[in-house]
Amino acid sequence: MAVTRKRGWIRMAKKEEKVRAPDVEVEDRGLTRRDVLKMGGAAALAVAAASVPKDAALAQAKQAAGRRLAMVIDTERCTGCHACAVACKAEYDVPLGVWRSWVVAEDRGQFPDARRVFLPRLCNQCDNPPCVPVCPTGATIQREDGAVTINEADCIGCGRCVAACPYDARYLNPDSEMAQKCDFCVHRIDQGVTPACVNTCPANARIFGDVNDSNSDVSALAGGASVRVLKPELGTDPQVFYIATEELPEGDLPR
Amino acid sequence: MVKLTRRSLMKLGVACAAVLAGAERALGQGLALTGTLKLVDGGMDFSPVTGKERKIVPSACWQCVARDAILCYVEDGKLVKIEGNPESIRNRGKICAKGQAGLNQVYDPDRILYPMKRVGKRGDGEWKRVSWDEALDEVTARLKALLDEGHPEKFMFHYGRMKGSDSKIVKDAFLKAYGTGTVGNHTSICEAAKWTAQELTWGKHYDVNDVEHANMILNFGCNIMEAHTSHLQLSQRTIGAVADRGVKLVTFDVRLSNTGAKSDEWIPIKPGTDGAVILAMANVVMDEGLYDADFIDTWTNVSVAELTDHLRQYTPEWAEGISGVPASKIRSLAIEYANAKPGTLVSYRGAVAHYNGVDTERAAKMLDAILGYIDVRGGTCRGVGAKWKYPKVSGSTAKLKILDGLEGDAALPTHHISHRVLDAIKEGSHGRPDVYMTYCYEPVYANGDVQENIDILKDESLIPYHVSINPFYTESSALADIILPDVTYLERWSWDDMVSYDMIPEFYIRQPVLPAPGATRQFQDVCCELATRLGLELGFESAEDFIRQSCEKSGLDFGYMTSHGVWHDADAKPKYKAYAKELTPEDYTGEKILFDEATGVYWDWTKSKAKTKEEAEEKGYTAMKYAYKGYVGQKIGDKVYAGFKPDKLNKSGFFEISSDFMAKKGFSALPTFMAIPEHEAMGADDLILTTYKVNVQIHTRSQNCKWLTEIYHSNPAWINPATAAKKGIADGDRIRVTSPIGEIVTTARVTDAVHPQVIAISHHLGHFEYGEFASGNKAATGHECVPDCHNKWWSEVGVHPNWIIPNAPDPVAGQLRFNDTVVQVTKA
Repeated sequence: MAVTRKRGWIRMAKKEEKVRAPDVEVEDRGLTRRDVLKMGGAAALAVAAASVPKDAALAQAKQAAGRRLAMVIDTERCTGCHACAVACKAEYDVPLGVWRSWVVAEDRGQFPDARRVFLPRLCNQCDNPPCVPVCPTGATIQREDGAVTINEADCIGCGRCVAACPYDARYLNPDSEMAQKCDFCVHRIDQGVTPACVNTCPANARIFGDVNDSNSDVSALAGGASVRVLKPELGTDPQVFYIATEELPEGDLPR
Repeated sequence: MVKLTRRSLMKLGVACAAVLAGAERALGQGLALTGTLKLVDGGMDFSPVTGKERKIVPSACWQCVARDAILCYVEDGKLVKIEGNPESIRNRGKICAKGQAGLNQVYDPDRILYPMKRVGKRGDGEWKRVSWDEALDEVTARLKALLDEGHPEKFMFHYGRMKGSDSKIVKDAFLKAYGTGTVGNHTSICEAAKWTAQELTWGKHYDVNDVEHANMILNFGCNIMEAHTSHLQLSQRTIGAVADRGVKLVTFDVRLSNTGAKSDEWIPIKPGTDGAVILAMANVVMDEGLYDADFIDTWTNVSVAELTDHLRQYTPEWAEGISGVPASKIRSLAIEYANAKPGTLVSYRGAVAHYNGVDTERAAKMLDAILGYIDVRGGTCRGVGAKWKYPKVSGSTAKLKILDGLEGDAALPTHHISHRVLDAIKEGSHGRPDVYMTYCYEPVYANGDVQENIDILKDESLIPYHVSINPFYTESSALADIILPDVTYLERWSWDDMVSYDMIPEFYIRQPVLPAPGATRQFQDVCCELATRLGLELGFESAEDFIRQSCEKSGLDFGYMTSHGVWHDADAKPKYKAYAKELTPEDYTGEKILFDEATGVYWDWTKSKAKTKEEAEEKGYTAMKYAYKGYVGQKIGDKVYAGFKPDKLNKSGFFEISSDFMAKKGFSALPTFMAIPEHEAMGADDLILTTYKVNVQIHTRSQNCKWLTEIYHSNPAWINPATAAKKGIADGDRIRVTSPIGEIVTTARVTDAVHPQVIAISHHLGHFEYGEFASGNKAATGHECVPDCHNKWWSEVGVHPNWIIPNAPDPVAGQLRFNDTVVQVTKA
């Protein structure tokens, strides 16, 4: 029962602080998907040819000067299958009732022109993360490569970061009572392997990489014409970008 | 808007997209990572807590029939993660949500870990734990008694999911050695009508839609993105084709599935009328002269004139009157599809689980045939799976005539009528099994008319002894006399052979990721022990031994298979147009080969069950039931071709658009539209009940997976706003749905995503056993809370629609007509 009470407290706290506003398109950086494909094509071939020894990958991750990890999710590809959500549950043994990664579906239009849009959700790994300054112990940090992570040893489970996140991306683990969220699977990235959700996505809807590297797909795609982010008006500067031709749905946790 | 983007993408970026497609294949992930940050896409995993690398065990999924290749990650002796095997050419390193949740099967708090014997009345839920010796003494005694009486057929084995080596060991070895052919399956509740139609047309079933190379995809009643017999292979290739190449996907469905949502067009259609639309499309193709005259003349058993004449009646206007799909839409799509060169037509239960399902599927195959889209790259192909060699057992079997339901149920039930087996047992005129053993089969929940299934299974005068082989306490095992605890697929040895959408066979195995917990035992190993106890010789000692021997016979290295999980011939080319292979005279001459003038078929009489050559010559190819087994080739002109190898329901090597088998049973030889009697008679306020699948559940056996049921545990009934308004029903109202056999009360979800004449209820939920996560009820055989149990936050279990769906078979194949039931819907 204590667990239930704690969740209620978090939700109330969030209600006071959160401002819901419609999503706004980010500025068009003048790249078309054609440009993106062009760049991506050549580059993807290069990757295909190269095998990545683990030690080398690790070395790469460490020498991440100027690197900025980011993800682009192509909602036109996403089929709403939830493979990412469950892969994440397994990767981190996420308890029932809380999520690091989840998928929202929203029906739109009138019969017979009904349609459905999908929005995979995760931590936005903001460039200006509201969760970092509110942490009284410094447990939440932003790495040099931009990933926002939590050092659980320093977490006191106060819940301030959970309340501060405007994206519902954080929760207190009902068993350990520590704050948790998606961290881009840095434990995999640092070893040279893609995040769990990227790995499993059957639609290849998730594109991950260094957005500061102008030769990367993620940088090319993030600048595309139909790219949106969640709640840009809050100034959090999310580094999870959505390719979407229409407004993104308001995403709630799946319950 | 979506279309525009895809179009412009296709127009502008075709060259780049092609490059990307190549990269995707090599990397398994395509756009994942470029630039200086290099990451591999899978093949290793690490603990997020300790950073320690997790141990990999390659194996194969078994959550659903698609059976993808997987890598299982183990940490400190615990299975912690499952990913797709990047070496697999079928699923290409990907798996779906169901596959990801596979570890929930292993750590289900309600798993049955020991043999259990009923102590109270059957169905009372009182059990005692017994040893394997005690359990097998009892089962052996029953089986031995039947052998001694000379009635092995009174041992009925009824399976739900049993494929690859699991099936070979049980069915082709143990049951054959024992001598029973009373072996039931479950295909009639899946897609029997589809398979029977294909057997009537081009021989053996399992069509592969080569969407990856198609230029247009027509989809009738298949939920490609959420469920298909080859779900992930098809869904990932379909979304790739749509997104990368701008391939047009058009979905006809009574509800907006996620497939409809990802389609360029979702066309709502009245249930059971897909066949009318397909016939009208064929009419347009003939009328506009868009057909492939060469394919029709050379490879089918009808002429252009015959087809034109037959299809003349099926105008788009006629089809509009039946289906509600505008004639102009049918016409324009038919023309677009005919010009796609090639396209492929996907069909599934939405189209075939009806009274007229067989002819709908025959019409679908006819449409692709008259356009020359058969077995070509980008068309509709014949599935290619691994051909394992394995230890074989000889023997003859006898069977009770209860597998095809009751007299007159269906004319050509080549896949049996499993959902009528209990009815046939009750009726009793063809005898009853003394021992009824169920394996991965849930007759209570999976068939229609749930109450009737319960009543029959509970009745000891009808079924004296029910053995349930089950890892879980299901609605059906709750009605057993003894439960033998099987392992889950993650503790099992098998090889498998699912078709490959790359049209190149893939050999793959399943191996134990973990030791079997408690006293659980793989049933195939139990078969080996039962065989020993009964004095039967199988030729292998265990499931593992069978796999080893199969690898050896198939020329595969067992060690390679256990370390890689999959193997395919890297030099193999995709197998298209196998029918057009020309045979050499050596292929069709010799002592054993006969030529049948009437059909132009060369055949090997020794494979036909004829006792002598004279008998074979005298009776002739067409008159002999099993002559098709000796088919060698088809003479066309002065050449002999491999042709379309016939099966039980066709005889020639032609693509049989016209069927003598159908005509002999009083049906139309050519595909036609059969109106659904109940729909013809329904009242203006009646609705048609449709059931469907979602992406995070399989039909019956996944609801115990906590991560899946956490996402999907509520299945309100979809009802169109106009229909709901007429009935005074608002979103969230409790409603009563009444069919001729009963009623259920559920919640209304008023949605624009469903046809106004339909009420749609998914058939995954409403379990009343299967443990806490599936039903809210702990298993009567034992329950041990997993660390996460107390975090379960939902109490809903949903509603099962099968309580009100009659076990009605279609008149040709005997398919359960899941989507035909006429119901009345009122506010509760």
